[in-house]
Amino acid sequence: MTSLADRQAALVAALVAGAPIPDGFDPRLIDTARRALLRKRSGEVARHWPLLAASFGPKWPAVFAEWAGARPTEGSFQDGLALARTLPLTGAAAEELAEREAALRPGLLRRLTRAFR
Amino acid sequence: MSLAGSYGVGIGWRPEIAGFVAALPGLRFTEVIAESVPASGPVPAPLTALREAGAVVIPHGVRLSLGGAEPVDPARVAQLAAAARQLEAPLVSEHIAFVRAGGLEAGHLLPLPRSREAVDAVVANVARTQAELPVPIALEPIAAIFDWPDDELDEAAFLTEILDRTGALLLLDIANVYANARNRGTEPTDLLDRLPLERVAYVHVAGGAEHDGIYHDTHTDAVPREVLDLVAELCARHRPPALMLERDGHYPPAGTLRTELDAIAAASGYPVVT
Repeated sequence: MTSLADRQAALVAALVAGAPIPDGFDPRLIDTARRALLRKRSGEVARHWPLLAASFGPKWPAVFAEWAGARPTEGSFQDGLALARTLPLTGAAAEELAEREAALRPGLLRRLTRAFR
Repeated sequence: MSLAGSYGVGIGWRPEIAGFVAALPGLRFTEVIAESVPASGPVPAPLTALREAGAVVIPHGVRLSLGGAEPVDPARVAQLAAAARQLEAPLVSEHIAFVRAGGLEAGHLLPLPRSREAVDAVVANVARTQAELPVPIALEPIAAIFDWPDDELDEAAFLTEILDRTGALLLLDIANVYANARNRGTEPTDLLDRLPLERVAYVHVAGGAEHDGIYHDTHTDAVPREVLDLVAELCARHRPPALMLERDGHYPPAGTLRTELDAIAAASGYPVVT
């Protein structure tokens, strides 16, 4: 029998990375858990990216789930940033992204400056 | 709690409801997410103000992954210990669950197989954690949407063995007891009858909702009547020193939160804190 570590890893991969459901688990319940995790993540990303989430209104959880279904989280801020960059945003959501991109840039410039000094 | 006396009804402190919590005249204890407490430097001012007003603040860890097959991350243990020192807390709490494996974050608390191997893994990680903590730890059983296919122990035996072997206290989430029983089609009071209730440090009470035919312990919905009834069932057997409302989003108006706190007071027989 495989170790607990391997079995835990296979389960997490099925829940967040689109891997097959390990043998013996109830596929319906694992899918329910998978979708509950995505709902929770969508709420956490919305806290970091309120205007992005608001621009989709009640469709936000579905929009996020579509994008995040097989993408393990890199953290709520990073997840929101990565999703926002793939979307044709307008209005307040576009401004939110532009402001954050601008806020990220000085740090990036400093790092690049140091790297090439 | 590992303290003399009773603390009555409390509420989990979250930044979004800091003003509401600060304004509760009778509050004697609260809980803060341990990972949000800075390991050094100033503690958030509202928490300091609550402590100065006489309330105990308990760090509640959510990302230690005590149930992981791998040893707990020493940096995360150090953070939990630092939070306890920063808040001069009488105890800390964490979950009987795992939250990551194989380099991936699950983003939530996942259930363990109720096997001897999993008990050994939890006991080893709790021991590693206790070795670094300045205070006792209380362990919280979680709400599980699914079970593992190869459970050897039932829930009461699984939990009791972990508590016996670690000497840890129990943080009993009565809403999790309700959710698991409802989803498994069992009687929630059967579990209460078999748990070591004298080991309960404090109790979580939370709301939930049904999605896809499964009751989810969301912490973002109202506390159902059935959960309050279970609070009364618990207190009739052995009243815990403290019970607190856990709310983690979709915060309702202050009046609704006050009503929920008063309902917990009524169900437990503790004085209202609102």
